[in-house]
Amino acid sequence: MSSREDILQNIRRNTRVRYEKPDLSTLEKEAITYADPVAQFCKTVGEVGGHVVEVKPGEDVNVLIHNLYPDAKRIASNLKEITCATFHPDDVASSAELDGTDLAVVRGRVGVCENGAVWIEQDVEQRAVYFISEALILLLDRKNLVNNMHEAYQEIDTGEYGYGVFISGPSKTADIEQALVLGAHGARELTVLLF
Amino acid sequence: MSTKHSKAAEKFQENRELAAWHDQTLWMMRAKRDKMSREVPEWEHLRDMASAIKMYSNSHLDQLLQEFEKNAQANGAHVYWAKDADEYCSIIYNILHGHNVHHFIKSKSMLAEECGLNEFLMQKGIDVVESDLGERILQLMHKKPSHIVVPAIHIKKEEIGELFVKEMGTEPGNNDQTYLTHAARKNLRHKFIEAEAAMTGANFAVASTGEFVVCTNEGNADMGTSQPKLQIAAFGLEKIVPDREALGVFTRLLARSGTGQPITTYTSHYRKPRKGGELHIIIVDNGRSNILADQEHVKTLNCLRCGACMNTCPVYRRSGGYSYTYFIPGPIGINLGMLKAPLHYYDNVSACSLCYSCQNVCPAKVDLADQIYRWRQKLDGLGVASSSKRVMSGGMKVLMEHPGLFNFALGHASWVNSFPRVMVYNGMNDWGKEHDMPQFAKESFNDMWKKGKVK
Amino acid sequence: MKVGLFIPCYINAVYPQVGVASFKLLKSLGVDVDYPLDQTCCGQPMANAGFENESVELAKRFDRLFEQYDYIVGPSASCVVFVRDHYGNLLAKESHRCASEEKIYDICEFIHDVVKPTSLKASFPHKVSIQNSCHGVRLMHLSSPSELNIPYYNKLRDLLSLVKDIEVVEPERPDECCGFGGMFAVEEHAVSGQMGRDKVQRHIDTGAEYIVGADSSCLMHQNGIISRDKLPIKTIHIVEVLAAGL
Repeated sequence: MSSREDILQNIRRNTRVRYEKPDLSTLEKEAITYADPVAQFCKTVGEVGGHVVEVKPGEDVNVLIHNLYPDAKRIASNLKEITCATFHPDDVASSAELDGTDLAVVRGRVGVCENGAVWIEQDVEQRAVYFISEALILLLDRKNLVNNMHEAYQEIDTGEYGYGVFISGPSKTADIEQALVLGAHGARELTVLLF
Repeated sequence: MSTKHSKAAEKFQENRELAAWHDQTLWMMRAKRDKMSREVPEWEHLRDMASAIKMYSNSHLDQLLQEFEKNAQANGAHVYWAKDADEYCSIIYNILHGHNVHHFIKSKSMLAEECGLNEFLMQKGIDVVESDLGERILQLMHKKPSHIVVPAIHIKKEEIGELFVKEMGTEPGNNDQTYLTHAARKNLRHKFIEAEAAMTGANFAVASTGEFVVCTNEGNADMGTSQPKLQIAAFGLEKIVPDREALGVFTRLLARSGTGQPITTYTSHYRKPRKGGELHIIIVDNGRSNILADQEHVKTLNCLRCGACMNTCPVYRRSGGYSYTYFIPGPIGINLGMLKAPLHYYDNVSACSLCYSCQNVCPAKVDLADQIYRWRQKLDGLGVASSSKRVMSGGMKVLMEHPGLFNFALGHASWVNSFPRVMVYNGMNDWGKEHDMPQFAKESFNDMWKKGKVK
Repeated sequence: MKVGLFIPCYINAVYPQVGVASFKLLKSLGVDVDYPLDQTCCGQPMANAGFENESVELAKRFDRLFEQYDYIVGPSASCVVFVRDHYGNLLAKESHRCASEEKIYDICEFIHDVVKPTSLKASFPHKVSIQNSCHGVRLMHLSSPSELNIPYYNKLRDLLSLVKDIEVVEPERPDECCGFGGMFAVEEHAVSGQMGRDKVQRHIDTGAEYIVGADSSCLMHQNGIISRDKLPIKTIHIVEVLAAGL
């Protein structure tokens, strides 16, 4: 008999009480909400080591990016409106070529107020771009802010590429004596541009 | 009266300064967890639901695992089932061997520790590189994790500085944590790029979508899996959750409980192989399906591996991860070790004052202390109970079942002196190492009552 | 309402004054209290050490001894909660229905929840630091455990607030275990001792003169540390404070 059958049979044999699936609707209804989602989101992103810049109506996002990261030389983006980008992440022959990217500018789909996480649905073939660049800018529409993870999971999907990630602040570690260090493997800096 | 744990703990306490640092540092994680949990008014309801979802999913594993398999296959993944550690290691080796992989980058996985994967692959000539910073430090030092979430918590920066001079060419004497971390970032960047395959564990596997979720702070799981086109993921079968709605509950609890963050930096959802790549998923049993039959301990399968029970455990904090003989330390490790092989791991059962704090911090409400209490009741039947504790308990039983004897003991000076000896027997010296003996009253309450002195 | 006073073995032997204070306190509150003779031990030490079966006879004796009372009240949260949480199970094996588990109270719990006095005669002009014991907090619910996100409450503090001239504080890490744990203190003496030293130090750091608690076992352990290390603080059972001046 295959291991698959062995395991399934053992599970069936050993399962005693079958518990009901809980109804989460009460929890989801009482879950935390925020009177001022933008303020809460900015606060939380700050607490996890990133920052939020609110883009003013009519403001030129490329000028803004330049002002935020004046020294960035290699700027990757798949977004048409990001004219300051120096290349499209899928124009490289292999993901290794993305190493040395100073800044990546990508679209965030949903922002979560309770934890500062932004959902990214993979929309380029080289998803390494979300992690390998030194700094990461996420463009997010304030209409897409949700209060908590229960709401977030109603909104998200993994799309055609079958991959998505919540990113909350820059990469970090505290593996050496619990001292917090930003920039373990992923982006050292994270900025959310909120439209 | 001692166990391997108590002896190792005594040794750990010999370095008072390090032991105090260890206690304080892990307590900080507990304190951060408290702060985070208080920012969520519905926290206790969340824990209740997390527990209820786990009770549901672990009692429907047959259905949910097959649903997961069907969906994962529809997504284009290869799905394997491994009965035990050997089969798990072989499946991974065969995949790597079949793709001619020599450089293999791994994200932290306690399942890999459980099954001895690295040793197995290294013997077969595959260069396994751990990419989590803590795990990488330990790998280079040839040491094991002492905590499941912060595996190198017991290593001081000076040791790491010295190691990195040798391994990564850092400046001698520069032990700054930021400097060392960024040196590892640079060093491992090359390893990510040259790897021909990447592997992760999984924090959750979602039956309804066939995707799995990996939570990291460093981004190493994603750095790894976004370079090579061959990706492997393996998880213990209790990692299954029914749907994304359940993820809403668990992602709110996991990092808040473990490290005191509102969520991990990266919460990655892997559903399909990369374009032109392959995704191999291994569902591992290795004893888990047997636990289902053990009603007294089945709740250990609720565990999210957040580490909160270690951080709060006053014994773990003061004895360190290496004082336990099972590879997972702390309250959950005591229980998992006993479920794995009681005759091998019973030494850890002493590492508990039954303070019950672990049960209160557990996000999935594993009844950790109750289970340890139950294990203690079973030690005698397993033939591994402490003989001196048995003599003490037996002595107390005789004394306490005979009030005349008890009163005689209380009432006679000569007996009063020997009373603690009966109570603590040959362990009296061990009590005396830390404390002075309690002073017995000249007159017991019984005597006072009989003499009408209690008014 | 007839109350049977439960005096655990080590209070009987080491801290009889706690028993005396308990009796006086209950009487002063108008409670009809009696002490059934020939009490020994509840059986917890053996059970926590892994020899629950050794406690079955004691449980039977205990249950019989207190048969005639409406309430069983004892000055030790840990022993009381052992009876409450484990006797049913121990006696189930003996096909004997346990009557004690439903009517047993820790003395603080009993005074706070059943007697509900609005004032006490006691005066205790000292600063005291509360020893929130593990079993008192997490099993008996005498105060809100620090781990849970529930509103703060503390029945010991409520009672102490009725005492005149007292100053009540709680240590940092307010309900971390002091390290007693019965035979744990002997078997794991190095960790237990360190837990005790840490706990006592945190009480000292509050500036309190006394560590006050509802569990003599925790106090006995800490007292052993205080005496060994000659530390500048004393221990006292909460009933001795509540009964001060009676």
